[in-house]
Amino acid sequence: MQEKLKDLVARATEEAKSIHSEADYLNIKSKFLGKKSELAEYMSQIKFMSSEDKKLFGPLFNKIKNEFEKLFADKLEEAENGSETLTFDPTLPVNDNHGSLHPVTIVGREVTNILKDMGFMILSGPEMDSEYYNFEALNVPKNHPARDMQDTYWLDNGMLLRTQTSALQNRAMRKYGIPLKACAPGRCFRNEDLDASHENTFFQLEGLVIDKDISISNLIYTMEGMLREVFKKDVNVRLRPGFFPFTEPGFELDCSCTICDGKGCPTCKNSGWIELCPCGMVHPNVLEEGGIDSTKYSGFAFGLGLTRLAMMKYKINDIRVLNSGDLRYLEDFNVR
Amino acid sequence: MLISCNILKKHIKNSETIDFVSLWDKFTIRTAEVEGVSLRGNNFDGVITAKILEVNDHPESKKLHILKVDTGKETLQIVCGAPNVRVGLIAPCALIGSHIDGIEITKRPLVGYDSYGMMCSGKELGISDDHSGLLELPEDTPIGKDIKEIFPIEDIIVEIDNKSLTHRPDLWGHYGIAREVAAITGHELLPLELNTDVPDKKKLKIKINNPELCYRYIGTKIDNIENNKTPIWMQIFLYYAGMRSINLLVDLTNYVMLELGQPMHAFDSRVVKNIEVGLAKDGDTYTTLDGQERHLSNQDLMIKNGGEYFAIAGVMGGLDSEIVEDTNSIVLESACFEPSTVRKTAISLGLRTEASARYEKSLDPNLALTAANRFIKLLRDENPNMEFGSAITDEYPTVQTENQIELNKDYLYRYMGFEVEDKLVVDILTSLGFKVKKLAKKFVITVPTYRSTKDITMPADIIEEISRMYGYENFKHVPLRMDMTFGNQEITYDTEYYVKDYLANRYNLHEINTYLWNKTTFLKKIGVEVDNVKLLGKSEDNILRKDLNLSMLEAASNNINNYEEFGLFEIGTTIINDECERHLSIMLVRNNDNLKLGYYQIKDYVYSMFKSLKNIEVEFALISDKETYYNNELTLGVLNEGKILGFITVFNRKVSNQISKKKVFISADINFDNFVELSNNLNTYREVSKYPRTTLDYTIITERGTFYKRLEDILNEFTSPIIIKRELRDIYLDGDTKKVTIRYTVGSDEKTLTREELDDFKNKFIEHIQNNNLNIIEQ
Repeated sequence: MQEKLKDLVARATEEAKSIHSEADYLNIKSKFLGKKSELAEYMSQIKFMSSEDKKLFGPLFNKIKNEFEKLFADKLEEAENGSETLTFDPTLPVNDNHGSLHPVTIVGREVTNILKDMGFMILSGPEMDSEYYNFEALNVPKNHPARDMQDTYWLDNGMLLRTQTSALQNRAMRKYGIPLKACAPGRCFRNEDLDASHENTFFQLEGLVIDKDISISNLIYTMEGMLREVFKKDVNVRLRPGFFPFTEPGFELDCSCTICDGKGCPTCKNSGWIELCPCGMVHPNVLEEGGIDSTKYSGFAFGLGLTRLAMMKYKINDIRVLNSGDLRYLEDFNVR
Repeated sequence: MLISCNILKKHIKNSETIDFVSLWDKFTIRTAEVEGVSLRGNNFDGVITAKILEVNDHPESKKLHILKVDTGKETLQIVCGAPNVRVGLIAPCALIGSHIDGIEITKRPLVGYDSYGMMCSGKELGISDDHSGLLELPEDTPIGKDIKEIFPIEDIIVEIDNKSLTHRPDLWGHYGIAREVAAITGHELLPLELNTDVPDKKKLKIKINNPELCYRYIGTKIDNIENNKTPIWMQIFLYYAGMRSINLLVDLTNYVMLELGQPMHAFDSRVVKNIEVGLAKDGDTYTTLDGQERHLSNQDLMIKNGGEYFAIAGVMGGLDSEIVEDTNSIVLESACFEPSTVRKTAISLGLRTEASARYEKSLDPNLALTAANRFIKLLRDENPNMEFGSAITDEYPTVQTENQIELNKDYLYRYMGFEVEDKLVVDILTSLGFKVKKLAKKFVITVPTYRSTKDITMPADIIEEISRMYGYENFKHVPLRMDMTFGNQEITYDTEYYVKDYLANRYNLHEINTYLWNKTTFLKKIGVEVDNVKLLGKSEDNILRKDLNLSMLEAASNNINNYEEFGLFEIGTTIINDECERHLSIMLVRNNDNLKLGYYQIKDYVYSMFKSLKNIEVEFALISDKETYYNNELTLGVLNEGKILGFITVFNRKVSNQISKKKVFISADINFDNFVELSNNLNTYREVSKYPRTTLDYTIITERGTFYKRLEDILNEFTSPIIIKRELRDIYLDGDTKKVTIRYTVGSDEKTLTREELDDFKNKFIEHIQNNNLNIIEQ
């Protein structure tokens, strides 16, 4: 009996190889497991066996039956999933055709997502703007020496190209009032000569928070937290005095150099710090001009350099690449 | 601005306990940005003072002399090429074994005669740019001393970013910087040594016509100035501070300006008659000290002398009053002018000077008198016999007062985010020269006049002083407290992102950013003229773009050498009718043969963008009102409910040939402001019919040149309640005809259609087509 069974298993294994379709499967299944199959016949004889043999062969028949079922099903699955005779060349190279997003778009999305999580709204404003929004509403009257700090593109229609996203502050205050938590990514313009680190067209992200009891301590916390999220690692920030007429006090925010972790390298001119973000408490005159009572409310604002951030993230060493439209540089930025 | 630590040290008590090298990191985080710290005077060693005893001609050389030099210890033979050698001259001498700029001085022969050292010019020592001869030291200079011991050659020069001082008129001189350093390091600022004489002389004739523009004018005549030679220490300082030494009188005005921040002017008193300060007459001209003729307007404030223009107030003096070789009597001007007038004049004349840079920051008028007395004191140090030729004549129509500011403690704590001790507040403000009265709930603060002109006018300004000196690094980090107000969201930014993401990741397009202006050379190259808003003061690349497609075309043209076929897009600003409009521009570059394919692709992109992101099914219609640089036969408007949202087009051959004869440039332009505003169509749930559908195919035969649009219009006229949808299946060109196969899917929600109903549909449809004079074949 043992021999017969061994032979049966061998035959079944051999024939199973010929399963290429569901029909083959059904045929072979019926041949080896059907009511008239050899195995069925052996099983029907079990009642005539001695109790000893029963103990031995009962489980064995069942085991063989289960094995056959699995074997045939596996073979069928194999046949259905993969053709052994190839009709195509699976080793051909892929068609590497992909689009790309601009690095500033990717970084801007990251930062705005972080701020959105903190409840900031995302505002947009015009690139061509009036002297009022860009300067006067920001406590920079005509003939103020601070106008020299930004080389402005003036237009023959009496308007200008905004030099800073802060041009949106007054509109945001007037439109949305208090409490205000807003950010505004956008393109700004300064009349500068181009070189590897200077562009006349660049992106900033304005942040503006106004409410009761907003403090310098809130500003420091928020900036540090935001940059930690942006760089996905702990960064140290330091504030130092910086003068912007629309802030009081105003700060320059430096962050520890992400390239050398603050040890000193060419990128940070060996100082360990990178100047990243002018910020400050919103000047009381700016609040008042935005229709907000500066004795009751205070706020902070910052202007994060998105272009600078993109360069840091992707280690881009020439700022001109970003506005070049040159796909040799830009086509690889498809990662979100 | 360059700051000399040697000068700072003069003004700070116990300054030797300050580390002037490491100090500047702290200065950066307390006061203003330091851009660089450099050590001076360390480029040489071993240079002593020596006296020339003999000057002999060199037998072999006309230029060289053979000197005998007294070094205090011995007499050396030195061969020297300087023209100003003479017996008795004391000059620096680099001995054998000394170093200059890293080179060791050795005994060496010069045209046959050994030289045992080198006599030095100021330039060789790095303390002036004069290389015309030896540095001439004063007659009373001790001989044989290391020159660094007797002159302040070793110094630390610190460069401070001018922009970070825009709001601090008090920091435009060393004394103000010294005040900050003293406050930062807990040292005491020394009072200035000043002239205290009040000469009992006649006043000068000074008249201020515009007191609103000239806050103060001090004139003093000083006679009997015998010595016009600048002491070496001051020459070195001026050189380190970036100025040229000229003579004592000019140098002193510059020195006081650099020390105190107060610009001054010394006129040769022989030409001074009566001084008048007033506005210029429109159209007048005036020649400034630099020999340039300047055109004046009635906005320019002038100093007049005897009715003639004498100087441009706060900007620059004139030639006629310049200090000359034999000047021995001067009129010293120390004045204060209204900042924006000086600024406007300096800008309109294109003449930004050290003086105008300071005046436009709102100087303290009280500084003018301090500076005059400082000048007189320093002049007298060099000219003990000088005499006053007039009273210190002081016209001061409106006196600058100290601001009084009340700072509520509560406001201070709220602003900082935590409480600070009263003592700390008092100490910080006192160290900066403020007077503080401490009350229960507030501080009453008197602001010194040098901070009162503009800088500190409100409580927030005081908070900055306290905060920065407290140290931002010592601040607590406090999260914003929870604010659960329902906020607004603007969707523009997100919508832009979704579209960019869609185009880049679904259609493999590349996002680029291009400039807001058209590039002049590119427009010229493609023969397109654009007229729009212009940037002022530029003649190239000065026209703002009104068609984003042109920017994309330029970018495309820059890529065609590297890529065969590709797609770009940008969402950017255009200026149309003086208004900003955001547009989306897509550009597909294709080989000429692939025009049709590319055109259908861009049409698909536009359609599916609206469909996927707004659930809007846009329509297309031929339009012909676009610019002539497009092929207007291939220009399609993109429409929704009759409104044009954008267009699809191809640059015409004339334009694209200028870039490449092998490529076509297919563009889509969508008004993005409108796109953002379109609301998302909402599809509500619809029951699917339980009854079977039937498809019916027809081939309609039109003339070969007939656009599908024509047929579509005819098909649209045919309506029936059983139509579920209609599709274009195939187009086959056959001779002069075009065979268009369409498929109707028909069915009903209520029942299975009967044979009769289907026949009725077919008959009516065929009749409709035939009525439009077209042949139809039922498939």
